[in-house]
Amino acid sequence: MFGAGAMTNAIDEIRDSELMFVIGSNTTEAHPIIAMEMKRARQNGAKLIVADPRKIWLAEMADYHLQLKPGTDVWLLSAMAHVIIGEELHDQAFIDAHTEGFESVKDKVASYSPEEAEKVTGVPAEDIRAAARLYATTKHAGIYYTLGITEHTHGTDNVYCLANLVLMTGHLGVRSAGMNPLRGQNNVQGANDAGATPIYYPGYQKVTDDEVRKKFEAGWGVPLSPNDGLNLNVMMKEMAAGNMKAVYVMGEDIVISEPNVTKVEKGLNQCEFVVCQEIFHNETTRFADVILPGACFAEKDGVFTNSDRRVQRVRKVVDPPGNARADWEILCDVARAVGYDMPHYKNAGEVFAEYASFTPKIAGISYERLEENTAGLQWPCPDTNHPGTPTLHMDGPMIGKAPFQAVDYRPSAELADNEYPLVLSTGRTLYHYNSATQTRRDPGPVAKQRGNFIELHRSDARKLEIEHGEKIKVLSRRGEVCAEAWISPRVRPGCIWMPMHFAESRANLLTNDAGDSITGTGEYKVCAVRVEKLDPKAAPC
Amino acid sequence: MNYPNTKKIDTFTIQLNGKSCQAMSGETVVDVARREGIEIPTLCHDTRLEPAGACRVCLVEVEGQRRLQPGCAWKVHPDMKVTTESDRIQKHRTVLYSMYMADHELDADGLPVETANTNQLRELCKTIEPMNLEPVEAPRVGRPGDENPYIEFKPDLCILCARCTRYCDEVEAVNAITLAFRGSETTISTAGERGLIDTSCELCGGCIDTCPTGALVEKKAPKNLVSLETKTTRSTCNFCGVGCQLDLHSHNGRVVKITSPEPGETLNDGNLCVKGRFAYDFVHHEDRITEPLIRGEDGELHPVSWDEAIAAVAEGLTKVKERHGADSLGFISSSRCTGEENYLMQKLSRAAFGTNNIHQCAAT
Repeated sequence: MFGAGAMTNAIDEIRDSELMFVIGSNTTEAHPIIAMEMKRARQNGAKLIVADPRKIWLAEMADYHLQLKPGTDVWLLSAMAHVIIGEELHDQAFIDAHTEGFESVKDKVASYSPEEAEKVTGVPAEDIRAAARLYATTKHAGIYYTLGITEHTHGTDNVYCLANLVLMTGHLGVRSAGMNPLRGQNNVQGANDAGATPIYYPGYQKVTDDEVRKKFEAGWGVPLSPNDGLNLNVMMKEMAAGNMKAVYVMGEDIVISEPNVTKVEKGLNQCEFVVCQEIFHNETTRFADVILPGACFAEKDGVFTNSDRRVQRVRKVVDPPGNARADWEILCDVARAVGYDMPHYKNAGEVFAEYASFTPKIAGISYERLEENTAGLQWPCPDTNHPGTPTLHMDGPMIGKAPFQAVDYRPSAELADNEYPLVLSTGRTLYHYNSATQTRRDPGPVAKQRGNFIELHRSDARKLEIEHGEKIKVLSRRGEVCAEAWISPRVRPGCIWMPMHFAESRANLLTNDAGDSITGTGEYKVCAVRVEKLDPKAAPC
Repeated sequence: MNYPNTKKIDTFTIQLNGKSCQAMSGETVVDVARREGIEIPTLCHDTRLEPAGACRVCLVEVEGQRRLQPGCAWKVHPDMKVTTESDRIQKHRTVLYSMYMADHELDADGLPVETANTNQLRELCKTIEPMNLEPVEAPRVGRPGDENPYIEFKPDLCILCARCTRYCDEVEAVNAITLAFRGSETTISTAGERGLIDTSCELCGGCIDTCPTGALVEKKAPKNLVSLETKTTRSTCNFCGVGCQLDLHSHNGRVVKITSPEPGETLNDGNLCVKGRFAYDFVHHEDRITEPLIRGEDGELHPVSWDEAIAAVAEGLTKVKERHGADSLGFISSSRCTGEENYLMQKLSRAAFGTNNIHQCAAT
């Protein structure tokens, strides 16, 4: 946003916060250790604003819980901006020095009054005002968000709105402040940094930039494609349309994790060739022509890069089982087998050295330095004497002038109607992880959470005569699943919530694969569904 | 924008055992002593918790104070004089440790028993000539019916320092465990003495980690772990994006326990969640794929050699590329795999097959 796609601030700064604005992040479940830092800040007197359609754990200890309707974030955030500008709480000096385009946002949010926002979001106008004032008038105030912001067809707009708030209040380049996307998986940051993205080489260098491409062609010794590739969301659609003919899937169960998985299954069935590189059989390996047994984190060397841009070592503890091998070795063998002259790396450290040599942000990091710096090194770390960068933008935004982005509210792609009157959001729980092939093989998570469940509000349950614990059916335009009904005070009336972990009851049979136009991220957080009691005469599901 | 002023910190000197030391307002005697390399024993002290002064092991002499005072809780003030070793303090320790021993399970050597985790009281008791006190009849109960798979409580090793319950309150903030009952029956328990699974406990295991005597231990770890030769390897957790550092303890090629580095050392500050600390059974699970597999004419998967599998992958992908072009291939990398592997996957896609159709499951 301001020159780097990552948390602007470091995790250990959270404890010194004066205010935390947590939006679209169920931090205690999805990032428990960051949540501990938040709890610590709270106990030290920090204020807490939580914006979430559900009464999540953090909401219960918050000063303000803005319980918005799913998908109305742009309204909520624009109304907060409206209050900040209207009451002149913005930081004009910061805006003048470090940003451009403020006027466009000022004009845009003029029509987003808290009273109008209340009608759309369901959040009382006074709470919006109070939260906006508190955020704007507190110095060490950080925004923390995750997939509740991004998993929408207007996910990018949501992020722009947050960035606008950060910029207009000058909460950038300040400790315990900034704009902090909490990454969902161990190496989301690192996978993006390393170039596992259709539009960037390693280090966010554009594949369409001729100079950059020449550098990589020289380094890798082959001509490279000048065209942007397809993002995962589009790949899945092209596969279903019959245009993508082969996929090589490493370490992801796309038939559980991607939205609208019926379409994904159709695509995989049509594929001429499917390779899976995995540690367990999963729903996707059912479609594989070849399965290559990989290694888990305890069986190989490497690095993970966490949410706060911290490069940390992964070290081999035990051997992979049987003939399974480290994934990096397998990838090299495949490349050589198709005639590409992949270097014979002696170890993962040599791969890292090559990766770093192409990537200015991490050029100063090496395995040797990571041995000495046991707390890891945070990028940017451009040379070997650089200590790493805990907080970004301390000397103003890295891109120079950070642009404001005026955005209009767009409703989610699929809204509740008479046929499908409820809104479904999906997410993770504390006890399981993604497709749960790991966590369901451990007794604790299983004891705490045996199978799938649906949180629904008492008023909706009463209308449908559903009892707590009863198995019910949820249907969307794309599929149906059965799960236990949990009558929960956490959800809004008209909204239901379901985790995505369970292979026998896949939430992503229901979700909408409409994607954000820029990132392709699917709309996991909003789709229209209806709930039905099970027919007692039908076979159990 | 005028922001309200934040905390003000003063620095000054204090005397520790006659030595002048820099100190800051808000610090305790133990904080300053540790920085200066002066050893003050503690049991109930954890840097993540508010001082409790509960175990009395850290008592020191503070000039002007008639009684010994707990160094972990006593705040420094300018020009204060503190003595951390003296006959008086040693006498106090002898009595105190002996009293602990009278209320503790002892081994054949007459020392506090060591479980799968180290018992710091045992080390302290080695520094005194214990008095022979009458063993205390303490009907302290555990929770025998607790069927949680991870956390075991041994009441006979508990010294009631309440680190575990304070951790559960102050750090994890779930308040699942508490000091229960009174007098010699005082123990660590839950509301209604329920098993941890049926409480607000999130099975983070922080109580095990903070327990100084090994009264709380991992059920999963081998019982004789202390006597086994184990290797400890520092690594990074493979679940969420926080990046907690782990110490993986292995024995005979198997992971037998996972702990956090000490508080203050890494970004997780000594903390882990249920997944990071306990969910490692998958590593050695019998369901792991151990051989390369190719789907045969019969539709079933058959084990093959690596050479065959790699050749099949190369041939399959190359044929599709020849028929439909490089952009008919899709490479789906993994944000669960390492940076090096993601680098190689995109290199494979771009350099070996000529397509930028490379992405992964990361959407944030």
